[in-house]
Amino acid sequence: MIRLNHLPTLRIKPGAPRSFRYGRRRLQGVDGDTVATALFANGVRVFGRSLKYHRPRGLYSLDGESSNTLVNVDGVPNVCAETTLLAEGMRVSSQNAFPGPDFDLLGFMDALSWAMPAGFYYRVLHKPARLWPLAVPFIRKMAGVGTLSADFQAPGRRDEIYPAADVCVIGAGVAGMSAALAAAEAGLRVVLFESRPWPGGAFEYRPGTARDGVAYYRKTAELAAAVQASPHIRLFLNAPVIGVYSDGLVTAFQRGRPPHPFDERYIEVRAASVVAATGCSERPLLFDHNERPGVMQAGCAHRLARTWGILPGRTAVFSVGHDLGLEAAVDLFDLGVEIAAVAELRQDGLDRALVDALAQRRIPLLRGWSVTKAHGRHRVTRVTLAGPNGRFRKTIDCDLLVASAGFTPVTGPLTLAGARLAFDAHTGFFLPASLPPRVHAAGRLTGRQDWHAVAVSGRLAGLSAVHDSGIDRTAAIGESIDELASLPGPARGTQFVLAPGSGKKAFICFDEDATVKNVDQAMDKGFDVPELIKRFASVGTGPGQGGIPGHNLPLYVHQSGASPDGHPRPTTVRVPLTPTFLATYAGTRLDMSKRTPLHALQVADGGRMERLGVWHRARRFSEDERSREEILAVRTAVGMLDASTLGKFRIFGPDAVKVLDRVYVGDMTRVPRTRAKYSAMCNEDGCLADDGVIVCTGDNDYYFTTSTGRAGMTVEWIRYHTRFDDWDFGIVNLTDAYGVINLAGPEARTVLQRVTDADVSNEAFPYMGYREFAVDEIPVRAMRLGFVGELSFELHVPASWMVHVWNRLMAAGGDLGIRPFGLEAQNTLRLEKCHVIIGSESEQRTTLHDVGLGFLWHRDKPWAKTVGDTALRQTEHQPGRLKLVGFRMADPTAPLPGDGSVIVDRRIRGYVCTARYSFTLKEPVGLALVDDALSAEGSSLAIHEDGCGGRLARAVVTETPFYDPEGLRLRM
Amino acid sequence: MAFTITCPICGPRSGYEFRYGGEDKGPRPDPAQMTPEAWCDYVHMTDSRPGVQKEWWYHRAGCGTWFTIYRDTTTNLEVAPDSPETVA
Ligand SMILES: [Zn+2]
Repeated sequence: MIRLNHLPTLRIKPGAPRSFRYGRRRLQGVDGDTVATALFANGVRVFGRSLKYHRPRGLYSLDGESSNTLVNVDGVPNVCAETTLLAEGMRVSSQNAFPGPDFDLLGFMDALSWAMPAGFYYRVLHKPARLWPLAVPFIRKMAGVGTLSADFQAPGRRDEIYPAADVCVIGAGVAGMSAALAAAEAGLRVVLFESRPWPGGAFEYRPGTARDGVAYYRKTAELAAAVQASPHIRLFLNAPVIGVYSDGLVTAFQRGRPPHPFDERYIEVRAASVVAATGCSERPLLFDHNERPGVMQAGCAHRLARTWGILPGRTAVFSVGHDLGLEAAVDLFDLGVEIAAVAELRQDGLDRALVDALAQRRIPLLRGWSVTKAHGRHRVTRVTLAGPNGRFRKTIDCDLLVASAGFTPVTGPLTLAGARLAFDAHTGFFLPASLPPRVHAAGRLTGRQDWHAVAVSGRLAGLSAVHDSGIDRTAAIGESIDELASLPGPARGTQFVLAPGSGKKAFICFDEDATVKNVDQAMDKGFDVPELIKRFASVGTGPGQGGIPGHNLPLYVHQSGASPDGHPRPTTVRVPLTPTFLATYAGTRLDMSKRTPLHALQVADGGRMERLGVWHRARRFSEDERSREEILAVRTAVGMLDASTLGKFRIFGPDAVKVLDRVYVGDMTRVPRTRAKYSAMCNEDGCLADDGVIVCTGDNDYYFTTSTGRAGMTVEWIRYHTRFDDWDFGIVNLTDAYGVINLAGPEARTVLQRVTDADVSNEAFPYMGYREFAVDEIPVRAMRLGFVGELSFELHVPASWMVHVWNRLMAAGGDLGIRPFGLEAQNTLRLEKCHVIIGSESEQRTTLHDVGLGFLWHRDKPWAKTVGDTALRQTEHQPGRLKLVGFRMADPTAPLPGDGSVIVDRRIRGYVCTARYSFTLKEPVGLALVDDALSAEGSSLAIHEDGCGGRLARAVVTETPFYDPEGLRLRM
Repeated sequence: MAFTITCPICGPRSGYEFRYGGEDKGPRPDPAQMTPEAWCDYVHMTDSRPGVQKEWWYHRAGCGTWFTIYRDTTTNLEVAPDSPETVA
């Protein structure tokens, strides 16, 4: 198709072709095209089929007000062709049409429309109830639009930003840009959202002249240049607003940055003030077959020509109710469209100059007339017009029918912000009757149509927003109010909805195929409130979010006399104001994880790395899932574990010890400089929250460890439980500043002695001792602990020296068979010793008493108000609790029960926490939480596993720990 | 939904930076004569009444302070501590 290449208002680059596929066809558009305009330019008129009746649908609007132009693009269903910019190589296909939109096998559904009255599904299929399951698959098939494969991966990248602003302006038309500039002049930060790919709104494409004689598009372009030059205004183009919330919160998303149509950005702005300058959409005129391809809105036809250089038709008939329609007729005539007739709903109030312009061009103007029917099977070929009251009819051949009854102000953002709407008879609009504080409305949505009046109202709103922020603008506001009073006020609007003499097939909502007749049926059923009729007859509940029926439904209901209070009532607006991909809300999945300082070494040593919380950790260092060699190394020689993920904290200050006494169950007033103290934290229910080791590193200065998973919340938790106390202390999270090496095994001391001058003999550094010494001048904090049940040293080393110290120890122990061990080995080793891991041997309800650690609790420190104290007292002898026990299998050759298997008799009596094969004892051992009635030594436990087929495994509660009950090996 | 919270250290900040710490129930009562029921009520029960409530917040993506604000739960707007609505 030949484009009009030399219009000053074009937004395309005619010399920059973009090829794409449409079904099997290879087509070409140009840079600046949307998918819809590119298809239209290639002669596509039927874009798809409607939801229910499979009626042909075409280009009707250009801002996504209806589902007419939903297509599949690059595998993504339900993409709005009108708002998606064309990209090179796009694959576009139609939806809801079998085999294609021009010939659809389900087209017969249209003939059955009589059989599907309003609320059809609700009324017919839910009774009797047994029919409903049969109906569901059918409804699913018929109701859904677009298909998505189960393994579909949405293309595109999605991010999110949270800019702060003093003023958020919604809509970069003349009013919005004027408001933004007024705020920017005061130095305020402005965020300006525009849903179209360029600023300018309703004026940027129009060649008509404002009262100063300059063309609208020129004046608007000047304004846009000023906005884009302002350092205070952040303009988001192609960014429709999704929602407006209390306290100036505005959410929007920016769609498609060429050449990536599916890159989307979620934007959330907190602004001190909000200006809504969202303008108007066109209010459709309803008549028979008012959605036939070839029928379009005035702005759609006009913008196709002016913005994209595409003539919308050869011969046009207009049936409009506003001056913008007349202006479009005149301009399209000048651009080469034959205008057969202009029917104007209004008898008077027409713009004199436009009437003269029509007369000069010998375009017949029929006042008081309107279209009553569009003819043609797949596209308009002829229309019937009727005079006032439906009398006098005439039929005209044409391929384009421009039909538009009036305007609908886009008030969604305002009502979401809390504005109350009231019907205004003069404009025919629902206008804000009251605005919440710091919310302002401006521009065409207030009914003004004059360029200058729109600009001044925008400036006034911008100044008011500045005033909100505490900068006095009383004088400037006064001037703007005076200036506005001298300019044309809100224009009178028509309230016509249904053309006189129209019949049953007048569609009030395109998305849901709802006709005026469906609305009548709902009113016959007794519905009188538009909001309820909307639900019952499905009017405005589709992807267009009520853009098409917006004002028509309340006006029609009102004119039918159904409104209970005699006033038209608006329907409720909800978020999202614009349909948004769920993927946009989901955002980018950022998988954030941490590596220990030894990560590379662990991998090089053959470590099988696993994600545990935020960390990557080595589960084992061989194929053997039971880590036999690693376990035996620790039991008979020496091994090393990277325990750097432990939480590590410094707490200091005059009240530090009070804090420790508050959060730990033990008595912290006497932690000597040379000893490590093991203790636990309980929550207010007395349940186990954490365990760890505390050492004293100086006066009022302590260092303590937490379990890996608790590190992130420890500071918050400790500060929470001291929030009323006003204590003087500081706490520092050193988790990433230190690494930890657990050097364990009978030869551990030999290895350690080889790398340090400090005396680490059993006499100089006994079990549970704490020492600070140097390894190659590197300061090391060493604790003699015994988590794995052998002589072991936990070495806390500055993170950046971890690799060095690890390598030194490895080299020093080479002749002793030293080797790294992983989490699996550690788990078995500590299990043999019955040392608990929080989260493995405890859950939400497990108290300190339940796991047998009650001895850690110092009950005589009421001064401390220890967090778990009250509950520990109350639950100490509480019957019926789950207690931690050790068990062996009745038959030692029995297979190992899985972690988490339940223990049953006639009911569930507990569960297996951890069970492993013990190479030391040569039989399976485990820990379980069981009903206290079963916790005595010798009790028999019946273990049920998934898939055991009722064959329960038998276990016996036995004495713990399984390994080295005297604890001699820790003290070697 | 997000709203703004005024941290005593950092000033008004996005609600996403904070963690909710529940209604303010005052310091812990004396445990001496505490029944399990009374203790459970203190720890777990909340009033959840619509309107202005005093509540705890933690500035986790900020200064790490626990503090209280008065918030109208029906509007998500903060209320000045000296406003008449804050009197329970
Ligand atoms: Zn803060």
